[in-house]
Amino acid sequence: MKNEKLFFFTAFKYVVPADYERWFEELAATGWHPVKIAQWSSLVMRFEKSEPRKYRYVVDAQPTLKKDYIQTYEEFGWEHLGQMASAHVWRQLYSDERPESFSDAPSREARNKRFMMAVSVSLTIFLFATIAFAASALFSDLASSDRLQFGIAAGLFFLITVLLSIVMSKVRKNLDR
Amino acid sequence: MNIERIRKRFIPMSETMLYILLSLREEQHGYGVMLHVKELTDGRIQLGAGTTYQSLKKLETDGLIRPTREIERKKLYIITKIGEQILTEEANRIQEIYKNLEGLL
Repeated sequence: MKNEKLFFFTAFKYVVPADYERWFEELAATGWHPVKIAQWSSLVMRFEKSEPRKYRYVVDAQPTLKKDYIQTYEEFGWEHLGQMASAHVWRQLYSDERPESFSDAPSREARNKRFMMAVSVSLTIFLFATIAFAASALFSDLASSDRLQFGIAAGLFFLITVLLSIVMSKVRKNLDR
Repeated sequence: MNIERIRKRFIPMSETMLYILLSLREEQHGYGVMLHVKELTDGRIQLGAGTTYQSLKKLETDGLIRPTREIERKKLYIITKIGEQILTEEANRIQEIYKNLEGLL
């Protein structure tokens, strides 16, 4: 039996943090655990099969990492699996009540807003790229083959911008979770 | 930041914030705050790591608490003058609620 699995684009599939956590937890319950979380894990994540475990997973965004952040979580009994961009992944074994890292509504909302902010930064970048490339395609005096390439790039960036705005509205609708 | 603006941001205060501020009348680090609040509320409020961390950061940024020192990489905090003032104002507000609710139970 294969005891290794790769998952692709998971961070883009489960854009609402609470859904991402549940996805990790369901895999853990069937014995699948991520090997490690690193920069590119949002694109490809490697899982290994071992014992089924009852884990609580937490995904948290920290754009400006202060040194007492990791320290605080660890003291509360969380294991740091790593981070992809500014998204940190934590887990903790439990038996009875599912432990919470965000124990009241305002702080859950603050966590989700940090994710929305992170997405909005990428969205802004892609929006500007779309405009810049589209302008080059339409108004520059380059050869027409070059302008076509700029046009294709603009289309691609536009597509990403649209996808990111869908992600943002989905996170916004789930700010309370 | 001026006191008027801090008032607007923190009053009325969430239960979490209130208990964290109340705990920090004594020098404490994050985990210690959680234990103290749990004890004060007979286990009803169990602050999570993320909630504790981001609440402390918010209180620190707005000057209601300040870091004192570090022991074994743990950052300790204590309430400031402004923090005490806000806490007292909030206590007065809650006392008024308490008085107005008295006949209810």
